[in-house]
Formats: sequence, C-alpha cells, structure tokens
Amino acid sequence: MLLKAPAFLLTLLALTGHAAVMPSLTLGYRGEPGVESKLLAAAQADILPVSYVKLDAGLSFNLFQNNGLGAAALALGAVAYDPLGLTLRLTVQHQQWNDWRAGENRVLATLEASPVYGFDAGLGLVQRVPVFGDRYWSPLVWSGDASEWNCLYRLRWRFIQRENWWLRAGFSSYDRYTAHNPQQFPFEADGAYRLNEDLELDARAGTALVGFSGGLASFHEVELSAGARYGF
Amino acid sequence: MGSRRILLLGSVVLLALCGCDWDLWGIATRPNVEDRVKEDLSGGLTTPGPVAVNPDSFSFAVFGDVQIRHDYQSSLGRFQQEVAERGIDFFCVLGDLTEDATPDEVDSVKLQLERVGIPYYATIGNHDLYQADGWERFKENYGPSCYVVTVAGRIKLIFLDTADGTLGPTQFDWFEEVLRDTSYTKVVLTHFPVFDGEKPVMWRLASDAERVKVQSLLKRYGAFAWCAGHIHGWRHMQVGSVDHFTSGAMAPGVLDYGNPGYLLFTFARDSLSWQFVGMEWR
Repeated sequence: MLLKAPAFLLTLLALTGHAAVMPSLTLGYRGEPGVESKLLAAAQADILPVSYVKLDAGLSFNLFQNNGLGAAALALGAVAYDPLGLTLRLTVQHQQWNDWRAGENRVLATLEASPVYGFDAGLGLVQRVPVFGDRYWSPLVWSGDASEWNCLYRLRWRFIQRENWWLRAGFSSYDRYTAHNPQQFPFEADGAYRLNEDLELDARAGTALVGFSGGLASFHEVELSAGARYGF
Repeated sequence: MGSRRILLLGSVVLLALCGCDWDLWGIATRPNVEDRVKEDLSGGLTTPGPVAVNPDSFSFAVFGDVQIRHDYQSSLGRFQQEVAERGIDFFCVLGDLTEDATPDEVDSVKLQLERVGIPYYATIGNHDLYQADGWERFKENYGPSCYVVTVAGRIKLIFLDTADGTLGPTQFDWFEEVLRDTSYTKVVLTHFPVFDGEKPVMWRLASDAERVKVQSLLKRYGAFAWCAGHIHGWRHMQVGSVDHFTSGAMAPGVLDYGNPGYLLFTFARDSLSWQFVGMEWR
C-alpha cells in the first residue's frame, strides 16, 4: 500500500503532462522443460517524474498455463551520479503460479551503472519469500518458511548502436518481473528498432544454464518476447 | 583485462580440467536426465524389490555423497558399526557414490556398500556421470535412477534422478503420478536439495518455477519429506508440512557442514519419526 499511493500520484502527473511516460506492451513465451510452457502478455510503463528519479511498474499475465495474473512489479530508482549512470533502485515484485497455488514476493535492491559507453552493470540483493497455499496471491506476505537472500548481478554490452536500432547481449540475473536464483546463470540478448520519434519496437530472448553446481550444465529455460514502446 | 591475462587464465582453466579424472567429452555427450528416466520407466531395467522388515517397527538410514576417491576411503566402515549398534534394517544412498566414476572407484564403493551387510537402495548423483560410461555402470550395479519402493505396505520411498540439477518433463509427470497415491507415507529420496536455508548458494535444484512446482506437489499430495545430498553435511528446513533434509554425507575429508552422519528414520506405533546421527570421522 505504501508504494501504491506514490505510484498513483506519479501516474496522475504523467497523464496531466507533468512527467515523461513511456508505456509498453509485450507478448512473449516462457518455457521450461517439464515445469511450465506459457504465453505472456505484459503491460508496463517507465515514468520519469523529475530529473534523477525513475519509476517503472508493470503487470504480466499468463496464458495456457497458470492462467491469469502472473507477475506484478513496481520499481523506484534514484540517479546518484549521472556521468556514470549510477542508479540505486528498489524493486518490489510479486509472481504467482495459479495452478500450483504458489507465489513469491521479492524485494530487490540494486546498484546499476554504465561506466563505459555501451556497457551496463548491476549488483544487488534480493529477499525472496515463496508463499504456498491460500495466500499465494497476496503481495503482502513478507515472511515464510522458505524465504531467502540471493545475490543479483548484471553485465550487458550494447554491441551494435545505429541511428534507429541497437542490439545488446550479456547476462542479467534480474529484470522487471523476475529474479533468478544462484542455481541459474542467465544469458540474454535484446534489441530495439525506433519506428519514429515516439514509437519503438523491442524484442528479447533469454535462457539460463542450470546444473553447473554439479558440473553438468544444461540450458533449461527459454523466454522470448517482443513488443512496442510509446513515449509521450 | 589484457589478451595475455585472458590467455593465461584460459590455460590455467584448461590445465585444471585436463588434470582431473573427468571424461569431459563423456560428460558432454552423456545421456541426460530425460534419456535416463525414459530408460528407467521403459521396464527394461530391474527395479530393486521391497525389503523384508517387521511391518510394525523398522528403521532405515539415509545419506548421500560417499564420494569414494583414489584412496578408496569413506565413512562406511564406521557406518557399519552404527548398523549393528542400532539395528538398522536397510539404507538409502542419495547419489555421488564416487568422486570421478572411474572403474576402480565404482568397484570399490560397490564393495564397501555390500560390506555394510544389510539391503540398500541407491540413486544417481552428478559425480556418478563424470565418465562416458557412468550411466551404464550405475544401472548395471544399482538398477534405475528413478523408481519406487514400498516398505511394509506403509512407506513409499520415491527415488528421483536429479543428477543434472533438474527433473525433466517425463520424470515430473511420473513424480506427480506416484505422489497421488494417498495410502502411504511418502518420502522422496534424491541428490539435489530444493531449499537450503536463508543464505543459500548454488547447490540446489534448478529454477524458481521448478522448485515452486516441486514444493506445491509435495504439499498438495501430503509428502512427508524430501531427502537430498549434494551439499556435504546435515541441513534441515521445514516448509509448510514438508521436511526438507540434506541428509548427511559419508565423504572423506572436510565436509561443508559438520561431521559425517546419516538421517535415521524410525517407523513405530504407526508413525514415522526421524533424527540425525553424527559420526566421528572413520
């Protein structure tokens, strides 16, 4: 509830033209052998209410498995040192699997930077709280038998940058809706194409290695998404 | 990082890999968990049979990671004394029977397990697949890596193959099917743990979604416990009504947590109870 009020206010500011807003819609697929195979539909917005403050929020829905709301996220970032892109970000995520009556609430604290042109890096911590049973859908459950702390990391390289498009590759253990655990080593590639001043097309592909703690690594999950992002 | 340093680092990693006894090509081309489970469930392998016990009162030990090396040392000799002192009926080994799965290590651990002198069951761990013929040798000695044993018509022991750090589609379906039966107390025995305390590292089962699915199945079908190895030592967490154990190890040398030991289950007066039994090294 503490985060909902400022989010509402900032959205109001955006709608009245007092803040830059970049809404986006994405469609995607997530598959993991034996675990789940589902389509994703997500709506999110990046809001820049004042200089040095970044807000983003989103909702993601599952289709064909664990149908319904799949994830929700709200993040607040503060730019600490602009020349390095040093940003302190606090993110709250809720994820749920309706068929399994299970959910997970997470709070992520990350420090991100772009010290060298084309590269962006991030480090942080996440507290994850899995919730099983009747209250799995609630984003307000912040204690549980299986709660744990994990490290977060990110290093990505925008290796092609042209006037209207770019491509990036690297690894990142977190994004808007997810935070990978230490048993996974995630890779991703994404890119964007700017159609005009206000509209951009985005696409992303991600996977993760598992089993490397036993020396028998294999690629496990696949996540693909594509969408459009509008700025006004 | 300069190219010289990268070259040096690469050489060191290559030398380290070449210096160990792992068959790297064998590891890369091994049958994966899906292949192994399909073979397990094809009916072509002989599933270990039930053990004869007093149906009203019996006990069994569970541990992982015997991890026999070149020197063939383990804590199984000490465990043999425990079996005699406590009257343990049978035991279960949760993978990583050897360090590198070389023929000598495979023969040695088999001999040491037989010497304990009571029936036992085994499932596979990642170390058992560190040679090209690791899976062949395992199934030749111990049978399938994924199977069910019922004890005294009371307890269902569900052995899972998690040597790759994941269950795979076929095993997931099979697992849900065997969990559905509500007429037994169900204990899952496998190599990888699902949970490991508040500050875990990477020695656990794969993704969040997989772990959540496993736990929700255990909860839905009322499983008693998930017993694992992989981490060398004793760890216990209770998640809802399900006990998650890292069951203790018999490996030589310094363990991740504490001394060698085993998880002892006792069935008496129609209920199953457990305790961890620590042992002095050798």
